[in-house]
Amino acid sequence: MSGLETVKIIVNAEKEASKMLNEAEAKALEIRKQVDVAIAAEREKRLSKARKDAESILQQAEVEGKAEAGRVKTESMEKIKNELQKASLAHQTAVKALLAIIMG
Amino acid sequence: MTRLSETGKFTEDILTASKEKARQIVEEAEAEHRHLLEEAASALSREENEILHNAQTEAEGIKRRDISEVRHQAKLLEQSEKDKLLSSVLEEVKLRLRESTKDQDTYFRYLINLATDAISHLGMEHVAIHFTSEDLNRLNITQLTREVEKLAPRVKVEVSKEPVDASGGVVVASNDGRIRLVNTFEQRLEALEPRLLIEAGRILFNEK
Repeated sequence: MSGLETVKIIVNAEKEASKMLNEAEAKALEIRKQVDVAIAAEREKRLSKARKDAESILQQAEVEGKAEAGRVKTESMEKIKNELQKASLAHQTAVKALLAIIMG
Repeated sequence: MTRLSETGKFTEDILTASKEKARQIVEEAEAEHRHLLEEAASALSREENEILHNAQTEAEGIKRRDISEVRHQAKLLEQSEKDKLLSSVLEEVKLRLRESTKDQDTYFRYLINLATDAISHLGMEHVAIHFTSEDLNRLNITQLTREVEKLAPRVKVEVSKEPVDASGGVVVASNDGRIRLVNTFEQRLEALEPRLLIEAGRILFNEK
């Protein structure tokens, strides 16, 4: 093999090595570019689900709040009704007691 | 070693080194990719938790708001109904007071007590008693003043010709009319109202 052929072989190897590195750099660049896209997609997916879950929690709270308020209202009305019924029974006792105070 | 094998070894070394460098470049990019994804995932978890935590807090607020509103309305209704009942008791008391004047014997004695009580509070030797025009017409006022004078022997009692505008009771005034002690039903009701309301509340609603 002549000296010229030897140089050619080495130059070709250098070219191939350079190509390999360029391809690796390009692939690395592509991988880095994909990070932002992947993060944005994941972020959109997960936050969208979280917002939906939050909305669902609020809707559920509205339903539960109204149901609980309904129960409280029924209980309160029943309690007021009972208290007023008892109070009505004591109406005449109260009248007599007040008259006794006024009449001395 | 021949030139060919030396050259082959040299180029092989170049290519091996390049392959290794290329592999490192890609691996570093991939490691960086994984690291950024992990960091992003961690930040996302915090954001998700914050969204859900805020929703939970708001949800509790929604429930509390609904329940609190109902309790408030119920309290207002309860107070309004209690007030109505207390008012009806006071109205009946007023009615019964007016009716009590029809039982002349009892009312007669009551007026004596009212007048005597007022006289003792005034502490004067000469007083005028004002009656309602109805009492002046239907009761034996002369006898009544005599009874009062018996109970307040050192006091000269006159009957005023000016009737008092009330459903019952008396007004006892000093002789010159400058000092008056009003002991009518209306005045007694007004003066005693706080005590009456407390007593009625205690009896009707067991309020302390």
